[in-house]
Amino acid sequence: MVCIFKNVTPLAEHYSKLTFPHVSTKTVQLTSGKIAIKSSNTILLYELCQQFPHGITDQVIQNDMPHLEAQQRAMAINRLLSLGQLDLLRNSSGLLYRMKDAQTASKMKGSDNQEKLVYQVIEDAGNKGIWSRDIRYKSNLPLTEINKILKNLESKKLIKAVKSVAASKKKVYMLYNLQPDRSVTGGAWYSDQDFESEFVEVLNQQCFKFLQSKAEVARDSKQSPMVQRNSSFATSHEVWKYICELGISKVDLSMEDIETILNTLIYDGKVEMTIIAAKEGTVGSVDGQMKLYRGVNPIIQPTGLVKAPCGLCPVFDDCHEGGEISPSNCVYMAEWLDF
Amino acid sequence: MRGNRRSLRHLSQNSTNSDVGPPTHQRVRSAGSPSCIIQTLWAKKPIKKMTAQEVRLCGLLLQEHFGEVVERIGTHLLRGGAQNLRTIANETNTPLDLVKKSLCVLVQHGVCDFGSGRRGPGSPVEYRGNCERVLRILRYPRYIYTAKTLYGDTGELIVEEVLQRGHMTMSNTVKTVADRLTHNMEEGRSMEYSEVVSSFSKLVETHFLQRCPPVAETATAAPSATPATHRTPASVTPPTAESNPDCYKLPPVTLTGRGKRRRSSDDGEEPGGVKKAKMDSESCGDEGIYWQVNFERFHQHFRDQAIISAVASKLDQTSSEIVRTMLRMSEVTTTPTAAYTQPLSANEIFRSLPPNYSISRPILDQYLSLLVDDPMEFVGKSGDSGGGMYVVNLHRALANLARATLESVVQERFGSRSARIFRLLLRKRHLEQKQVEDFAMIPAKEAKDMLYTLLSENLVQLQEIPKTPDHAPSRTFYLYTVNQLPTARLLLQHCYKTVANLIERRLFETKENKRLLEKSQRIEAILASLQASGAEPEQLTEVEEMITAPERQQLEALRHHINKLDSTENQVDETIFLLESYIISTKSK
Repeated sequence: MVCIFKNVTPLAEHYSKLTFPHVSTKTVQLTSGKIAIKSSNTILLYELCQQFPHGITDQVIQNDMPHLEAQQRAMAINRLLSLGQLDLLRNSSGLLYRMKDAQTASKMKGSDNQEKLVYQVIEDAGNKGIWSRDIRYKSNLPLTEINKILKNLESKKLIKAVKSVAASKKKVYMLYNLQPDRSVTGGAWYSDQDFESEFVEVLNQQCFKFLQSKAEVARDSKQSPMVQRNSSFATSHEVWKYICELGISKVDLSMEDIETILNTLIYDGKVEMTIIAAKEGTVGSVDGQMKLYRGVNPIIQPTGLVKAPCGLCPVFDDCHEGGEISPSNCVYMAEWLDF
Repeated sequence: MRGNRRSLRHLSQNSTNSDVGPPTHQRVRSAGSPSCIIQTLWAKKPIKKMTAQEVRLCGLLLQEHFGEVVERIGTHLLRGGAQNLRTIANETNTPLDLVKKSLCVLVQHGVCDFGSGRRGPGSPVEYRGNCERVLRILRYPRYIYTAKTLYGDTGELIVEEVLQRGHMTMSNTVKTVADRLTHNMEEGRSMEYSEVVSSFSKLVETHFLQRCPPVAETATAAPSATPATHRTPASVTPPTAESNPDCYKLPPVTLTGRGKRRRSSDDGEEPGGVKKAKMDSESCGDEGIYWQVNFERFHQHFRDQAIISAVASKLDQTSSEIVRTMLRMSEVTTTPTAAYTQPLSANEIFRSLPPNYSISRPILDQYLSLLVDDPMEFVGKSGDSGGGMYVVNLHRALANLARATLESVVQERFGSRSARIFRLLLRKRHLEQKQVEDFAMIPAKEAKDMLYTLLSENLVQLQEIPKTPDHAPSRTFYLYTVNQLPTARLLLQHCYKTVANLIERRLFETKENKRLLEKSQRIEAILASLQASGAEPEQLTEVEEMITAPERQQLEALRHHINKLDSTENQVDETIFLLESYIISTKSK
């Protein structure tokens, strides 16, 4: 659902708080032929809303139908709301009424208010999904009721439950046709909520191998130092292409995925990154920027401390001369000396 | 013994062999001929608090080099701060004359300094230990080795002699070194004094040796001078070697002749010593001018070497050669604590490059800009004049080297994935646990485990930021972070403990095999004397076989162990050097 008002937030809570006064006037068949609206005021309002698909404010209604008193207006709006024809939204200037699209309205046919309310809450959560406890908090309905409704909606294939990677026991609900967000599925690195640590390591090694061989070729090229350096760089797009062609991944990896892998190489101290400006439309450039990576050598060999057994000793802090653990009776030291 | 003239007058004269020529190492240890003026300028340096690990290591080093008694006195001084003679004697339960001798040894080696007491003029003289100077003993092999690589065998021996005796006059050094070199040469050849003198002067020119700071000769003026200094304590500065304008000026010495061979026909040591003493008492024109090793200069050299090798492994050989040239050019013009070298123009660098390095000017420019672009920032650009002005970022380089050292420790000890987390935190400063998992791409469970391990080892710190004043865990941010400087300090202490452990183990190994070692020494002595008297080969093999095969094996293993421990001590000292330099460089900012 696209909304042009930037600060519009759905007001799901309002549904449960609004009262639905009993309206009994003659029945009018609307052009849609599906929904019966039983009040002339309501029909007028409905038509007005149809004219403004982006929504109308209270002020617009007052201008358009000056004959209506505040009470009658509220009654008409409430009527439409209860029929599920209208969305109530809030923006910076106040309340906003908007037509619901016909498809959703038709889906919700035969559902009661509570069900609509829950559906609305889930719809608002988008592709991030929402936890059943949060639904309860937002809808003010008892949990048992909510569970019943959720089951009902699931069976109608209006919503689906997705397991989140953040907490394996936490189910989140979202609309049936939505693709779950990366934060829920964990992206390419998760399969069934398990982090594929080996997969990441393999990719990490392959990326490094690629960059390293590139750097070696550059070094052996015997060109001027500047050219050597520049040719040792690879764009993230090049790395991505290499990995794709290698065919080690069954899932489709995006360029961002490869960049996360390359970032781990930076944290391993094996790779450096530079960002350069690129012409718009160059392959592999994002927002006029291109990320360049290259393999580098470490600046020092393993330091002297770790060449002594004490540098790696797990009981270093407990070691004292004359104590239970001491340099004289140290087993690690003895093994190391005889090595 | 001239060396001790600089010592203390207030210590009563009790030595018998004073002024009897160049002391052997042993004599330096025990003898003292105090005849000097009380230093009125009591070095008012703030006393650095020493950790238990440092004192332990200092104790071990003192014991190894100067023996039990000096170790006891030295450790007491280091622990207790400045104190007077009587207190030291009482608290260590050592006879007064032993305390005096020990103090002489310590003063001779610069480990201890002295000055008038805190209660003003007239109060007893107080002594204070210098922990850093003791720790230098650990680095002696490296100083000597460096002198050898730079100035050959002669340089090596000069530095070795001066280090072993604390300080010496030039004439004395030259004579001793020439004698030693002659001894090692073939029969009939000997070492010219002039050659040794030229090596000595080269070491002085390059500031590896310097004159000892003059002891203030104001004994007669003391009553008037001391109150003045007390009224203005700000003016009291420790006499440093550098403050002497003649610090690197050679005295005019008249040294001719050549080294003498110690003949085995000499009847023992003593008569030879006396003879030498007589000869040495001839005036050479440099009495009272003593030389010591300039540790700062050596450290500067080590630092430069570390930077050069870092550039070589990060970039390539040519770049390192350029950095080496830059460092050499600014060697004398840059102060030891400077953060940058003096700016050098590309033209100057080009002219000073070693001639066998055929780099054309445009290529040099490319190399320089590559060095400037490198994220390690070893080299910086300070201007555009003269084809571009370049500096070496000394402090930045040290910080980078120290960081690499920390990373390497984490990598070796906790594995490369923990090292990834560690580097990540160094780079991004503050991160939540979830962010660490995401950035490092490590499963939550493992990442948590690694973070907690690093945290418990104090390599990583945890910062709490509560959203509400009640510090409820659910409403608090927990940010992990790495503080490089405190972590470097922590690892430095680990290094001290490690070296102390290695020394302890070495002492233990020697103690365990004491009987065996003594036996092998005895047999070697017998063999040598038999050979000298021209014994039969059968006799020799018979004596040799007194050491059984398993014993021989054991000796071999022991030798292997000691060598390994020794070389590891030196390697750990390299880490100590890097971390110390980094810590000092951040302090001077």
